[in-house]
Amino acid sequence: MADMAGSYWRCARCDEALTARKTVFTYLGHSFTHETLRCPKCGRVLIPPELARGKMAEVEEQLEDK
Amino acid sequence: MKTNKIRGREARADAPGNLSGNKRRTGVEAVYGTVSVCPVCLKRVDAAIVGRDGGYFMEKTCDEHGFFSTVVWRGDDPPFEGWGEIKSAAPDSRPALGCPGACGLCAGHLQKTCCALVEVTHRCNLRCPVCFADSGVARVSARLSVETLYARFRKLAAAGSTFVQLSGGEPTTRDDLPEIVAAAKRAGCEYVQLNSNGIRLGAEPEYTRALAEAGLDFVFMQFDGVRDDIYERLRGRPLFDIKRAAIDACAEQYLGVTLVPTIAPGINDGDIGAILEFGFRRSPAVRGVHFQPISYFGRYPGAPGDGGRITLPEIMRAIDSQTGGKVKISDLLPSACDHPRCGFHGDFAVLPNNTLLKLTKKGKAASSSCCDDAHLRNRKFVARRWKRAPAGAEEDTAVGADDYRDMDGFLARVKSHGFTITCMAFQDAYNLDLERLRRCSLHVFDGRRTVPFCARYITARRMP
Repeated sequence: MADMAGSYWRCARCDEALTARKTVFTYLGHSFTHETLRCPKCGRVLIPPELARGKMAEVEEQLEDK
Repeated sequence: MKTNKIRGREARADAPGNLSGNKRRTGVEAVYGTVSVCPVCLKRVDAAIVGRDGGYFMEKTCDEHGFFSTVVWRGDDPPFEGWGEIKSAAPDSRPALGCPGACGLCAGHLQKTCCALVEVTHRCNLRCPVCFADSGVARVSARLSVETLYARFRKLAAAGSTFVQLSGGEPTTRDDLPEIVAAAKRAGCEYVQLNSNGIRLGAEPEYTRALAEAGLDFVFMQFDGVRDDIYERLRGRPLFDIKRAAIDACAEQYLGVTLVPTIAPGINDGDIGAILEFGFRRSPAVRGVHFQPISYFGRYPGAPGDGGRITLPEIMRAIDSQTGGKVKISDLLPSACDHPRCGFHGDFAVLPNNTLLKLTKKGKAASSSCCDDAHLRNRKFVARRWKRAPAGAEEDTAVGADDYRDMDGFLARVKSHGFTITCMAFQDAYNLDLERLRRCSLHVFDGRRTVPFCARYITARRMP
C-alpha cells in the first residue's frame, strides 16, 4: 500500500516500525482481507479512522440484513 | 408432527379464535387461534390454524356459509412453528373490531409502512385470467391528474413513507407516467418503483428512457417463466420475448429490474429454478427475483381448492431442489418487516462464473417486529439491492474484483451484482389471518386511507 510504505507509525508496546501486511477481518460470519499496518513483533494492527469509517463501515452496511 | 394435542400457544381466554372445535379430533393439532373472514360474505369469523395430514390448515366456520379449510403450509422443511420469531403484541392488543372491513391503519396495526403503493390507473394492456386488481383493457379508469397524485406523494413523504410503488392497472398505459415519476421525486419520495408487465417498456425504449430520466429508481416486472406457454396460460398470450426486450430496455437505462413471478401449481411451479438461473445470467440488469405464490383475489376463475395453492415452504424447497442446491433453504430467512409467514428473503451477489456469493447468514435475522424501525431497515435493504449502480460505476468497481475475500473486491461485486431472492405470500379471503395482516408493511394509499395490501384487494367469492 503506497501510503503505508513510508509510515512513521511505531508500535506503542514494542517500539517497532509498523509494516503493511494483509489482515483478516471477520464480521457476521464473513471473513475479509485488507492491507493494514501491523507490528511485526506483537502483531497488533492499526485501524486508521478512514478505514473504520470508510470501507469497514461499507462492508458492515452491505452485510446488514433487512 | 405431534398429534391429538391442543398446544394452545395463543389459545388464551382473551385470544381471538375458537379452538374448542378441534379438541376431540384425532390427528389434529390446533396451533393457534386467530380471526379471519368468511370467503363468501367477508364477515369476521374466528379461525384456527391446525396441523394435520402433513401440513397446516386454516379452518373456520361462517354461521351462514358453513365450514372452510385452506392449506397454509405444506411439509415440515422448514418447520411451520420454527419459521421466524414473532414478537408478542401487548397482551390486551387485538385486531380492531372493524378489521379488516373498515381498514385504514389503526392502533391495532403493528407495523409501519415500508412501501406505499399508489394506483395510478385501473386500465391494463393485458387481460390476465388472474389479477389481484381485476384490471382490464376496457375498464373505465378514474384518471387521477398528475397534480392529484403529486398531492398524494407529498402526504406520503411528509409521513415518512418515501418508498413508493406506482401500480394499477398497468401504469405504463399512461403517456404521462414520466411526469408522475417526476412528481413523486419532487414531492420527496426517495425511491420510486414501477410495477409493470414490461410490454411498453420493451416496445418503446424512448418511453423507458423518459421514465429513467424522470428519476425512476427500479422496476418490479411481472415475469412468470422462460417459456411462452406459461404466459399463455397465466396472462392469455405469449410474452417471453417481450419480457426479454423489456429487460434489455431497462438495462440500457441502468434501471434495475426485479423479476416477479406469480407461481401457480401445475403451470410454473416446476420453473422456479429456470427463472432464478435466467435472473443470475442477466445480473446486474436483473437485481433479484420476487416470488408470489398465486392468491385468489380480484379476478380468478373459480373457488380455489388446496390443489390450486403453493405454500411458502414449497417455494423454498423448489428453489433448493431446482437450483441443484445452489440456493439452499438455509440461505433464506423469514420476513422481518412483515409477519414471518408472509415471506422470506435471501441476499446474494452473482459472481462472474454464475455462482453465488451468499450474504445472508442463518441466525442473523431480526425477529418480526412491531413498533420499531424494521420498515426502515427493509426499505434501505431492498433499495440498496434493487437500484442498479449508475453507468460507469460497474465497470470501475469491477477492476481487480476477482478476489471476493478482499474487502475492495467484495464491496465492488456486492454493489454491482447484488441479487435478492424474496417471496411474499399474499392472503386472500380463504386464508386471511389477522395476526399476519396487522404485521403487514406493504400498504396501499388512496389519498385518504392507508390500507394493508391484502385488506385492500380482498375479494368475496363470486357465487355461481
